Amino acid sequence: MSLPEVAFALLAAIAVVTAIASLLVRELVHTILWIAVFFVDLAAVYFLLDAPFLGVLQLGVYAGAVTILLLFGVMVTRKRIFSREAATGIGPVPTVLAVLTVIFLATTFGELPSGEVAIRSYDPSTLSVNLFGPNSPWLLLLGLIMLAAVSGAIYLVREGRE
Amino acid sequence: MTSLEPTGFVALSGALLGIGLFGILTRRNFVLLLISIEIATNAAILNFVYFAAFAPSAPLGISGQSIAVVLVGFAATEVAVGLAIVLALNRAKGTINVGEVTELRL
Repeated sequence: MSLPEVAFALLAAIAVVTAIASLLVRELVHTILWIAVFFVDLAAVYFLLDAPFLGVLQLGVYAGAVTILLLFGVMVTRKRIFSREAATGIGPVPTVLAVLTVIFLATTFGELPSGEVAIRSYDPSTLSVNLFGPNSPWLLLLGLIMLAAVSGAIYLVREGRE
Repeated sequence: MTSLEPTGFVALSGALLGIGLFGILTRRNFVLLLISIEIATNAAILNFVYFAAFAPSAPLGISGQSIAVVLVGFAATEVAVGLAIVLALNRAKGTINVGEVTELRL
């Protein structure tokens, strides 16, 4: 195995373990700490894939903003921050459904191109032309949706609303 | 130049989607539901980033990475609205357990 393959295997194992741990630990704050590790781990996968812009975006938006937002949500809704959640059990039906989904996706492995694929390094300036260029609506679309979402969020939490 | 096999990436994103789905179906706490949705979204973003390597290098147009950037923005927006719902739910009901919010149930 080459070095990138070993690195990817390690990062993938950490991602799966931290994702499972974040859903199975009983304290909500521990859940958020595990999910922060998960986000940082995925950022490392993006760096491995020669996608540095997305790696930094993942670190800033997910590991930074989303984690803090979730912590804030826990902080303002609990009397004691380290109070245990009445954990709902691992029901048989959801587990079977999740495993079936993974098996269904695994059946597509035969359709994938075999052999290693060279990861084309993606120039961030090309990406910025894709995102900001005169013919691309992506950033405008994202901005409009964020504006609508912020208006909705402010409406939901404003004072005096019953 | 790095080269990696597609099987590992599809296996990882499939596993993450399964974990997210499991969390969405079993957890009742709203914050845990949001986290499960984030895990499933990240599985999709990982696929977009990896399969961008297959596309011909077009200088303009849609690419996997630009879709991934937009998706990261969408996910952050979704968490912000989710947090607003958590706050509103906590103020109205005193709980963020979605099993106890049954007003719309017939």
